[in-house]
Amino acid sequence: MRKLSIKRISLHATGWLISFLWVGLASAVLLFLADADFINSLHAFFKSAFGGRKFAYLLSTISRAALIIGMAMSALIAFRGGFFNIGGEGQLVVGGLASATAALYFGIMGPLGIIVACLTGMAAGAVWAVLAGAMRIWLGVPILVGTLLLNYPARFIASYFVNHPLRDIASGMPQTHLIDKSMWLPLIPGTRLDTGFILILGAFVLVLIYCHRTVAGYQARMTGYSINFAAAAGLPIHQISLRTLAISGSIAGLVGAIAVLGLHHRFVDGMLVQPLYAWTGIVTALLVNLLPWAIVPAGLFFAALHSGAAGMERIADVPKEIAVILQGIIILFVASSKTADIRQNGPAKEKSE
Amino acid sequence: MHENRVDLFGISVSFGNVCALDNVSLGFRDGEIQALVGENGAGKSTIMAVLFGLITDYQGEIVVNGKASAWRSPKDAIKSKIGMVHQHFMLQDSMTVLENIILCNEPLNYFGFVDFKTARHQVRSLLKEYKLSLDLDQLIEDLAVGQLQLVEILNLLYRNSTVLILDEPTAVLTPVERDQLFSALKRFKEDGKTVILITHKIDEVFSIADRVSVMRSGKLISSSTLAETNRDTVRSQIIGKARHKSSKRTKSQPTTPVLLLDEVIVPGLSRDERPLSVNVKKGEIVGIAGVSGNGQAALVEAVVGLRQTTSGAIFIKGKDVTRRSVEERRRIGMSYIPEDRQKTGLAISGDIIENSAISNIQDPYFSSGFFLRRQNMMSHAEKLITSFDIKVASPKHLAKTMSGGNKQKLVVARELSLKTPLIIVENPTWGVDIGASSFIHRQILSMRDAGHAILLVSSELDEILELSDRIFVMFEGQLSKELPISGATRAELGKLMLAKNSTSFGPVGEVL
Repeated sequence: MRKLSIKRISLHATGWLISFLWVGLASAVLLFLADADFINSLHAFFKSAFGGRKFAYLLSTISRAALIIGMAMSALIAFRGGFFNIGGEGQLVVGGLASATAALYFGIMGPLGIIVACLTGMAAGAVWAVLAGAMRIWLGVPILVGTLLLNYPARFIASYFVNHPLRDIASGMPQTHLIDKSMWLPLIPGTRLDTGFILILGAFVLVLIYCHRTVAGYQARMTGYSINFAAAAGLPIHQISLRTLAISGSIAGLVGAIAVLGLHHRFVDGMLVQPLYAWTGIVTALLVNLLPWAIVPAGLFFAALHSGAAGMERIADVPKEIAVILQGIIILFVASSKTADIRQNGPAKEKSE
Repeated sequence: MHENRVDLFGISVSFGNVCALDNVSLGFRDGEIQALVGENGAGKSTIMAVLFGLITDYQGEIVVNGKASAWRSPKDAIKSKIGMVHQHFMLQDSMTVLENIILCNEPLNYFGFVDFKTARHQVRSLLKEYKLSLDLDQLIEDLAVGQLQLVEILNLLYRNSTVLILDEPTAVLTPVERDQLFSALKRFKEDGKTVILITHKIDEVFSIADRVSVMRSGKLISSSTLAETNRDTVRSQIIGKARHKSSKRTKSQPTTPVLLLDEVIVPGLSRDERPLSVNVKKGEIVGIAGVSGNGQAALVEAVVGLRQTTSGAIFIKGKDVTRRSVEERRRIGMSYIPEDRQKTGLAISGDIIENSAISNIQDPYFSSGFFLRRQNMMSHAEKLITSFDIKVASPKHLAKTMSGGNKQKLVVARELSLKTPLIIVENPTWGVDIGASSFIHRQILSMRDAGHAILLVSSELDEILELSDRIFVMFEGQLSKELPISGATRAELGKLMLAKNSTSFGPVGEVL
């Protein structure tokens, strides 16, 4: 919480502006290389990210952004505690599968069924994350490694279930049966946008409260700053690590449940892995330097980038991989601006004398 | 003949609104050891950071060998043969001594590979020239602190540095290591090199330096040869105002033991794993002296609950806490002032409010149920700041923006404000200026007078002598017999601190 002077803000703004110009230049070069009509592509990009009939594309951007923001919250909560949970993908998949199973087989219908399915998804995600925490405490496997490696069994277990025991054989696809309509997340009236993003916004408010106002959030943040400090102050570090991972995993599980109940209405093999929700979420959290409120605009930005690129491919015949490359360039810019910051101010060390 | 090799003209540096250096001009000659003294925050390290290219945003001029120079980074300074040994060593632990010495400056053979044979030869001749000894094939992680320093210095010599800057080089050394360092510095001087010694210790200045420059709050107070000045002058120049009188002590009235270590074995502490026994009673300070690195850190960790013990028992207020966590021990009645304020004492990336409430956040004053009571956290931080005279603009500032002394004051203030029956204090004034350190001492003494039991572990002999009621000396993981404060002299303690096979080290520190 440093004082924001005009000079500081303008310095920041210029920095961002320069980065922005570079990104613009890079995208121009990319479009040129892809042999595309620049104005036409740009138009297609913005139309497909924010426009459409009745703003249909904007709504689909929001829907995607909600999932990305959800995964960014999951990553942010863990990272702020110093626990590098990069297994959001596994927790997301497990959560999605569990909530689909609950919706299909628990026999509870309607709004209560939605709640049960969401809670089941959250619990499954939490368990998957806590597993990595337990591996850290009792087997000494670093959180980073444990969470990453648990992504693969999650993916393949889900794949097995939708290919065999839970498969909707008649559909011919590796997917579960369609869940009952009474458990589909309702749509915002007059649109095709489901209410999943409201759940995410609700979770986001809770995350803000958790980070800034609760004892648990405070203790996790202190542990993230320095584990030695937390230990010497007598904080229960194991408990904090498991609790933080559980919260992080349950948010990932909730995102899985929302994707199932709101978007696909069933669990389709790979539906949560292919769009790279979890990884984009991690990038989003890192991009804003783990500042909680900022993940909302950053998440929207990445979602817009993605749907804009899809539109560019459709309309202007520009390969959508361009967007992925752009995303990479942006990350490079963020990383290099951070390095420059460290080079100017020195690493965080004691400024004595 | 004796031209100035390096001149700094009118150097000013400011960090935000704080003026760290105010128009400082200094000259350094060939074949001279110049000591730079002053309290923490006086600007010694800042001016050296300017000279070494770590700070590039300054006003003024650097002239090296008669040529105006401006560094863009330490690399440029190194090219101009300026070298610096930092307070915290910057060595690669898993590499050998030789590899570290030649690092970034490796001689190459025809194929572009590192020519270790030539390197070894060159380093050997350096060692011979300056009468130093080092095993070039040892790993850095196996070396003692004094040797690490030697590796750092050799790295500078290997780069042909003619200006050597040493930041607080003796803070971590034993007296013997210090003497070795000083005789090496003398040989560098005879060889025509310029040596700059940043230090707190006036005794050192007068035993080795040719010239002493005193800095205070960013200004140069004086720069004179030793003949032109004396200890008292330098001392008063450093402090600026009359020094606080050494804290008055009242006779302690020790009663029941608050901390009791009963034949405790801390694994890995000493080779033959001898048990340690100590007790600290209400209203007394028990000091554990010793050169750092003799197991004090492990002992403190065991007492605090950060390290497992294999045998024996630890009691706090009569409760067996041997298997209890730090949290439980703190709840029973312990507070802990750790030595390392950067990593353990503070979360330096957090603000002062966050740092003030960490040890008792569960207290209903700071939290109700799940939620923080941020108003109360804020007012507590403000209270600590005023009662300990901590210099910071507001409690919302990050801990890392404070100077070392103020950071330490915050740690001490936080832990003492808990008012626990037992207080574990570990090197409370390490790297802290005289003003802050005497303030901290007075606070610790007043806690003792208020009936708290205090275990003080310190490698500063003066601190031990000033504060303790009873003294033990720790050497190679063992405790000496108890020395009452009345009988303890510097000489006797110094002997125990360095004595092997001394008869004072019985099998058990103290018979209960």
